[in-house]
Amino acid sequence: MTDLGVATPTVAGAGDKPAAATGKSLSVVALRKTYGPMVAVEDASMEIAAGEFVTFLGSSGSGKTTTLMMIAGFVEPDSGTITVGGRDVTRLDPQKRNLGFVFQQYLLFPHMTVAENIAFPLQLRGVPKDEIRRRVFETLDLVGLSGFGNRKPRQLSGGQQQRVALCRALVYRPPVILMDEPLGALDKKLRDQLQTEIKKIQRELGLTVIYVTHDQEEALVLSDRIAVMRDGRIDQFGTPRELFERPRTPFVADFLGAANFLSGRVEHHTDEHTLVRLDTGGLLRARQHALAKGAPVSVAVQPGRLDVCAPADAFCSGTVQSVTYVGTLVRVVVNVGANCSIRLEVSARNAPQVGERVGITADPDNINLFAAESAG
Amino acid sequence: MSVSTPALPAARIRAALASRRTRYGLLTALPVVIYLLVLFVYPILGTLALSLKDEQGGFTLHWYADTLTGINLSVLLTTLRISAETALASLVLGFLLAYAVSRMRPLFAALAMVLVVAPHFVSALVRTYGWIILLGDYGVLNEAMQAVHLPGAPYQLLYNEIGVVIGTTYVMLPYTVLLLYGVMRGVDRRLLAAAASMGAGRLVIFRRIYLPLVAPGLASAGLLSFILSLGYYVTPRLMGGPNQTMIASLIEQQVTKDYRWNGAAAQGVVLLLITFAGLLLLKVVGSLGASAKQRSNS
Repeated sequence: MTDLGVATPTVAGAGDKPAAATGKSLSVVALRKTYGPMVAVEDASMEIAAGEFVTFLGSSGSGKTTTLMMIAGFVEPDSGTITVGGRDVTRLDPQKRNLGFVFQQYLLFPHMTVAENIAFPLQLRGVPKDEIRRRVFETLDLVGLSGFGNRKPRQLSGGQQQRVALCRALVYRPPVILMDEPLGALDKKLRDQLQTEIKKIQRELGLTVIYVTHDQEEALVLSDRIAVMRDGRIDQFGTPRELFERPRTPFVADFLGAANFLSGRVEHHTDEHTLVRLDTGGLLRARQHALAKGAPVSVAVQPGRLDVCAPADAFCSGTVQSVTYVGTLVRVVVNVGANCSIRLEVSARNAPQVGERVGITADPDNINLFAAESAG
Repeated sequence: MSVSTPALPAARIRAALASRRTRYGLLTALPVVIYLLVLFVYPILGTLALSLKDEQGGFTLHWYADTLTGINLSVLLTTLRISAETALASLVLGFLLAYAVSRMRPLFAALAMVLVVAPHFVSALVRTYGWIILLGDYGVLNEAMQAVHLPGAPYQLLYNEIGVVIGTTYVMLPYTVLLLYGVMRGVDRRLLAAAASMGAGRLVIFRRIYLPLVAPGLASAGLLSFILSLGYYVTPRLMGGPNQTMIASLIEQQVTKDYRWNGAAAQGVVLLLITFAGLLLLKVVGSLGASAKQRSNS
């Protein structure tokens, strides 16, 4: 309530533009949360810039939601600090943090109309009635729901309800908006549509958004940066491109790129590349890695980064097991040895035949090496 | 065409009657129908007839006029007042209790509900005498209050309106607690979290979110305890004084002491009508509540 006095001039200055207030930065340092002996989140640290769209990506139990809940104030961290726009909020109650939150289950107040739902946070902040009416109208307009103000939430579809929930979270211009799998309950088509809308609004208004999802495609579409979480830790925090092309762990390579994994040993290093002798016999040229000669390695390469070629030029070859058309691309599975197959995505024009013997090649810069987890 | 149209419903009814399912259904319902006709509908109609007859058997509204004037009217008003007080008290206490129970872990909640309901397996008479022992001038409660030198103790807690309301509230409490508990368990706690995330404090959340969501339950619980209190007999009789005579006692007195059956019948019909009006209101509130529940589920 006290920082309202500071916020009001910016609101007045914003004038004609709807909700022109931009998001603020957020920093999380060494956040930790345990439930009894179970560590839910360990050493989570990140700096999020104002106006950035960041996604916490991970499967269930990875700690992504717990981290979000700690930022929101619903879960108290054991240790660590959370700062929003320079203000330490770590020990504040949720209602004192002034953040926006969009829940998966919408959670609109059933006894209020759409307009009353959106007006609620503004009323709490003592915004004058005329301005409430104006801002509710503008915000509904923003999500294409003008004219729905007098309906009750139950009269809306799921997608519409989530749009209203979004309005309710951004109408008071919180410095950071948190979203917990907001599209999880919607069907695929609606999800794609709302992703585009959320991204558009976020960019237009310069909102800082932290988004939680287990859907890597959604994360790639929406995010400026993605934090991949596993077992309560942030495996890697970077732009989608970084994660895709320079995964720091085999998990990231697998989770985002559905990579193929091959095992082998470092044969020798050249100036530019590391050569790996694969267990299947072939010699593979990969991105430079500081592993010692003879060290066991795991090779990760995404299906889309592989191509078919003549067996003679290949690092490995095998028999085409299946070919599946998915639009302009073809998914090919090649059997390269006992219990070992490689998945490729190639242009439909290069599609091989089932049963054909083909070689597999890749640009060395697209091949990532990891120290093998168990040397046995 | 125009000839066959009016014949259609009759044909349908005949077809329905001819169906084996209908015949079987009627046959199985018959004992209950007879039971209700003999023991419920006939006596009520009899009472109604009685209330409209004068001493010579002619038609009169004299008994109703009698019921709604003088001492009888004041008894009726006392009944309404005590019922309203009981409804209010059991609503407030029931709300607090139900809220506490709804926040407990399921196991403890179940135990708490047993504690609330169990005393009501004991006979009403025994329970009422229990209260008399507790609340008397030399009862446990007053002795304790005197022991700590509470100013004004001992208090008169029996044979007055306080006594009656304590007794009836105790009887009504399980109904309100059970009803409110169900409604409170149905409130999505995440809605409260959502309100908190927007900056609402506890008091605002309670007033603007929680209370409106349980309001239909509060209305039904209040109405239900009001209706049930209207006809209550034992407790007001034993725990109240002459000024707390309720309509059920009056009816009993007219029948057993004054032999004024017609007057008693008229009072019974008036009580029944008030109860029906209350039930009707309860149904209206209930359907409102059902649609609210539907809303919160969607």
